[in-house]
Amino acid sequence: MAEAESVRTFEEGLAAIRGAYADALRQAEDEPALRVANARYVGPQGELTKLLKLMPQLPGERRRELGQQANALKQGIQQAFDASLEAIHRRAREAELSGPPLDVTLPGRWQSPGGLHPITRIRAELLDIFGALGFEVADGPEVDFYENCFDKLGFPPDHPAADEHDTFFIDTNGKTSPRAVLLRTHTSTVQIREMMRRDPPLAIVAPGAVYRRDDDATHSPMFFQLEGFLVDEDVTFAELKGVLTLFAKRLFEEQVTVRFRASYFPFVEPGGEVDISCVFCRAWENDAERTAACRVCKGTGWFEILGCGMIHPVVFENVGYDPEKYTGFAFGMGLDRIAMLKYGIPNIKLLYENDVRFLEQF
Amino acid sequence: MRASFRWLQELVEIEADAVEVADRLTQAGLEIEALERWGEGLDGVVIAEVRSQRAHPKRDKLTLVTVVDGEGEYEVVCGATNVPQTGGKVLFARPGSVLPNGMKIEVRTLGGVESAGMICSEAELDLGTDEDGIVVVESTHASRPGDPIVEALDLRDVVFEVGVTPNRPDCLGHVGLAREIALLYGDRYTPAIAGGPPEVFSADGVFADEDATVDLSAQWPSSYQTVPPPKLPDISVRIVDGERCPRYGAALVHGVKVRPSPFWLRYRLHLMGLRALSNVVDVTNWVLLEWGHPIHGFDLHRLRDSTVVVRLAEEGERMATLDGVERTFTADDLLICDGQGPVAVAGVMGGAESEIRDDTTDVLIECAYFDPRSIRRTSRRLGLHTDSSHRFERGVDPLAIPSVLARAASMITALGQGAAGRTAIDRIALAYSPRTMPYRSARASRLLGAEVEAEESQRILEAVGCVVTSVQNGVLQAQAPSWRPDLSREVDLIEEVARVRGYGQIPTAVPRVHPSWRGTPERLVFAERLRAAAAGAGLFEAVSFGFLSLDDLQRLRASTDTVVLANPLSEERSVMRTSLLPGLMAAVTHAQRRGASEIKLFELGRTFAPSNGALPTETPTFALLLAGQREGWIGQPRAFDFYDGKGAIQTILDRLGRVALSFRQGDPRPFLHPKRSALVELAGAEIGFVGELHPEVVDAVGLVGRAIYAELDVPDLFAAAQAQGVPQARELPRYPAVARDIAMMVSERFSAGEIASALQDASGGLAESVRLFDLYRGDQVPDGERSLAFRVTYRDPENTLTDKRVDKAHAKLGEIARKRFRATIR
Repeated sequence: MAEAESVRTFEEGLAAIRGAYADALRQAEDEPALRVANARYVGPQGELTKLLKLMPQLPGERRRELGQQANALKQGIQQAFDASLEAIHRRAREAELSGPPLDVTLPGRWQSPGGLHPITRIRAELLDIFGALGFEVADGPEVDFYENCFDKLGFPPDHPAADEHDTFFIDTNGKTSPRAVLLRTHTSTVQIREMMRRDPPLAIVAPGAVYRRDDDATHSPMFFQLEGFLVDEDVTFAELKGVLTLFAKRLFEEQVTVRFRASYFPFVEPGGEVDISCVFCRAWENDAERTAACRVCKGTGWFEILGCGMIHPVVFENVGYDPEKYTGFAFGMGLDRIAMLKYGIPNIKLLYENDVRFLEQF
Repeated sequence: MRASFRWLQELVEIEADAVEVADRLTQAGLEIEALERWGEGLDGVVIAEVRSQRAHPKRDKLTLVTVVDGEGEYEVVCGATNVPQTGGKVLFARPGSVLPNGMKIEVRTLGGVESAGMICSEAELDLGTDEDGIVVVESTHASRPGDPIVEALDLRDVVFEVGVTPNRPDCLGHVGLAREIALLYGDRYTPAIAGGPPEVFSADGVFADEDATVDLSAQWPSSYQTVPPPKLPDISVRIVDGERCPRYGAALVHGVKVRPSPFWLRYRLHLMGLRALSNVVDVTNWVLLEWGHPIHGFDLHRLRDSTVVVRLAEEGERMATLDGVERTFTADDLLICDGQGPVAVAGVMGGAESEIRDDTTDVLIECAYFDPRSIRRTSRRLGLHTDSSHRFERGVDPLAIPSVLARAASMITALGQGAAGRTAIDRIALAYSPRTMPYRSARASRLLGAEVEAEESQRILEAVGCVVTSVQNGVLQAQAPSWRPDLSREVDLIEEVARVRGYGQIPTAVPRVHPSWRGTPERLVFAERLRAAAAGAGLFEAVSFGFLSLDDLQRLRASTDTVVLANPLSEERSVMRTSLLPGLMAAVTHAQRRGASEIKLFELGRTFAPSNGALPTETPTFALLLAGQREGWIGQPRAFDFYDGKGAIQTILDRLGRVALSFRQGDPRPFLHPKRSALVELAGAEIGFVGELHPEVVDAVGLVGRAIYAELDVPDLFAAAQAQGVPQARELPRYPAVARDIAMMVSERFSAGEIASALQDASGGLAESVRLFDLYRGDQVPDGERSLAFRVTYRDPENTLTDKRVDKAHAKLGEIARKRFRATIR
C-alpha cells in the first residue's frame, strides 16, 4: 500500500511539474528570475529533486519506468531553461544595441599625458633636420674658458666685437686671472672644443644654454643656441646656403624663401645673416596689405633667424688645422627665437617662468 | 649710426631712391635697421609774418600777436618772449593742422581771448630740441608768408638707422657710407666737399716744430681772402707715447664768434639725434658725423703754456671731464695735457677746464689717431662710452687727418666768422704703413662655390679702395685702403668680392657630408630619451635659469658649495645652482598662487659644483616635483605621496629599458622627510633619491600641502643603464604557470620587499614572481603588525607543474614566513 501511495505521489508530482515548468521558465524576465524559476524544479530543494529522492521507495517494477519519465522531464526542463536563457540574452543584447548611447563626453580614464618644453621640442625638430643631413650632436660645458669663448674664435683682444657678448665671469678666487673663466656667451665654444679634439671631416650641431648680461623685455640672461658646423676639404659657401635653405624650408614651409646678406662675426668670413620670408604674413604670397600690417616682420616681409659664414682661417690656425687644406662653414641660431616663431610665443620671458598654464600648452 | 639720405646725396650722386639704397646696403652688410621719413605731417604749418603785437588783457605772460600767412590775418595768443618785431618771420600752425606730437591746432580761447592757430617752437614741430622760445626765421631768408615750412625750410629727409658692425669703422660717418654706396652701385668715390674758409692767415711760425706741419690750403678752394696773422702764442705739441698716439694734428682758427648755428645745421644735427649747442661745438659734431673721425676743440687761451702733450696718466692722476665728473686715471690711460696737467681723456672726452665757452675766440682743433685698444680699455674702465671713443676704438682713418682738419677749420670760420690758420700741426710719431695681402680668384671660387673671374675681382677690389700692386701667376697683391682696418688677409678680400657681388649671386648646393662612424654620443641620445619618457609619464618639462641666489639654496637646504659669478646682474642670480629643487619649487609656488591643484613637473639641466680643476663640475641632473592633489577619474582626488614619486621614477626608467631599480631606506638629503624618502639604486649603484619634502622646508617656502621630490644623477643613471645593457629577448615559456596566494600577519619591522624576496628565494627557483596584492592594518590585526597578501606565480620552464610540486614549494614559503618573520599565515 505504501508503495502504491508513493507511486501515485510520484506520478502526480511529475504531472504537476510537466504541466507548469514550460510556462514558468519561459516567463522569467531575466537571468536571475530564470535561475530562481529553474531552482524551483531542479535546485537542491526543487520539486523534481525532491521527487527523485523518493525513488528508492518506488516498487521495483515501476522504478525503472518512472525513473525514465523523471529523467526525460529533467531534460525537458534543461532544454526549456537553455532556450529561455538564450532568449533572455538575445533580448538583453537587442536592448543594449538599440538602447540609449553612452555619454561619450565623460572624461577618458588613463594616465594623463605630460609635455616637453618648447625649447626641447624645437631642439628635437632641429636635430632631426640636421641629423637627416648627416650632422651629429655634441655638447660642451656652460662654464668655459675665455680662450674658448673668444680668443680661439678670433675675437681680437680689447675689441668691440665682444661688446655684443656682455659676459658673466666666474669668481675663481684667484685661481686664474679674473676674466679667464666665464659662462659661455655662445655655443661656438663647442666648435673650438670639438676641433681641438678631432680631425676633419666634422659635421656637428651643438645645442645648449648660453648666458649674457642682458635682461630686458626682449632678452633673457640665459637662453639657448644651436651651433652647427661642417669642416672638410672643399666645403663651400654655396653648400652653406644649401644646408640652411633646406633647414628653413623643412622647419617652416617649403614655400619659404631664404635671403643671405653680409654681416660680421669674428669667427667666420665671409660672414652673413639669414633672413627668411615671414611665415606669419606668408610674405611669399605677396599680399602687400597683410605684410604691411604684420607685427612679426614689421612690414618688411623678412625676419632674421641666424648668423653664419665660412669658418675663419684664423680659427683653423688656432685649433691646428691647415686652412689651405680645409674649409668649413658654421652657423648659429637662438633656439628661443626659433621656438617663438614656430609656436607663436609672444614673449621670451614665458619660456623661463615655468608657468604651468604655459607648459601645459606643449 | 644714424645717417641722413640728403647728406649722402650731397656727398655722392645717387640715382636710386632711399628704400632701394637701404636694401642694397643691408644686403652688403650694413643693415638698415630702421628708416624714418622726416618733413612729413607738417601740412598747414607755414611761414607767417608778424603784423602787430599787443598785451593780453588778462594774462601778464601772454602776448596777442597778429600774423599774416598770405591768405589771411590771425590773432594768436603766444607765450614766448622772443616774438620778433613787425615784419619778422615765424612758423605758424594754421587752425586745423596737426603737429608731429599729435596735437590738433584749433581756434580756442585762452584767458578769454580767441587764439586762431599757434606760433611754434622747434620742439613743438620736432625740428630741434629748443622749447624755450618760438622759431624766428632769419629776415634774410628767401621764404614768403604762406610758404609751407616743409619747402621753405627744406625739411624733407630720410634717416637710416644703420647697424654698423664693429669691423666697419669707416661707415661710422657719411663720407664712408657715401663711399660704400658708390662701391655698391659700381662707381669710384672721390670725396667732394664744397666750401672753404672765407678768411685764412698764414700761421707759419706759430707751431714750434716747423717739420711737423701741414698746409691745409691744398684742401680748400682758392676763393678765400688772406688776412694778416694775428698775434698768437707759440704753440708746442709733443707726443710722449707714440704707440698710443701715432699721429696728432691740430689746426687753428682765430677771431671766432661763438653763437648758435644756423637752422639747417641745427636741424641736421637734430635728425642725427644730437643737440645743437653752439657753432664751434656743432661743427665738431658735424665733422664727426661727416668723416667718422672725432675731433676736439680746445679754447687756445685756456691751454696753459700753449702746450699740448700726449702722454700716459700717472697712476691716480685726476681731472674733471666735460660732463662735470671728476675722474681718476691709471697708468694705462692716455691723456691730452697742457703745460700743467690733463685737459682731455684722449679719444674719449674733453676736460671741463679747456672747453669751448661763449667768450672763446681762438680754437685749437685736435684731430688725431689713437691706438684703438688703448682707447677701448680707458673707455671701459671709466664706463664712458662716447661717440668719440666708439670710433677710435674701432679705428679711424689715419690718413684723413689733414682733410678733416681743413674741413673743421673752414666750417667754423664760415659759421663763426674769424680766420683759419693755413698751417696746421701734423705730428707723426709712428708712420702709417699700408697692409698688402695676396688674393687668388681661384681660391675665392673654391671657397664660395661660385666662379669668380680675376678681372672682376680686381675691379671690385679697386672700387673698395685697394691698390693692386701686382698680378702674377693668378695671385693679385692688393694694398688695403687706410680707412679699412678690417682688411688684412686674403679671406677679407674674398668677403669684399662676395658681398659686393651679393651673396644672392652664389648658387645653392647640398654638401656631401662625411658623418663619423660613432655618431652622436649615446649619453646625449639618452638624455633626450629621458625627457621624452618623463613627458610620457605625465610630467611637464620646466626650464629654469642656471643661476639663482644663495638664499634660495639655503632655504631649501640644498648644497651651498657653489660656483659664484664675479659680476652678477643681481643677488637673485649670483651663484650657479647646485640643485634643480629651487627652480622647480619656484614654479610650484607660482602655480599654487594661481590656484593650480595638480602640479607634476620635471627638469633636466645641469647642476654646478666647484672642483679642483680650472673649470667647475657640471652634472646633467634630472629632477621631478609633484605637488598638490593627484586627480582621480571624477571621483575624489588624493594628495601625492611617496609612492607616486616612486611610481613615476619606475615608469620613466622602465621606458629607457627594463632596468633593475631598487629603493632603499638610507641617509636622506636634508631637504627630504627623514622617514619618507629613499635612495634609488640601479643595478646596485646609487643614482639618486626620492622622497617627500621635509615639512620644515615645505613651511619655509610656503608650499600648500606636501610635495614629492626626486633627483637622479644622469651620468650615473646612464652608466648603470649602459652596464645593464640593452634588453635581450628570452624564449617564451612553453609550460603553464600556477598562481597561489599566501597571506600573513607580520610585524611592521619587516619590509614588504624583504619578505617578498625571501619568499622568492625559498621557492627553489620555482617562483617566477612574488607580488604584493593586498595590505591591511586595523581590525583583527594586532598593533605593530600588518596583513600582507602575496600572489606567487610558479612555473617550471621544462615541465608542466604538478599540484604536488606546487603544494610542496608553497608550504616551504609558509615555513620561511613563519620562521624568519614570525608571521601568522592566514
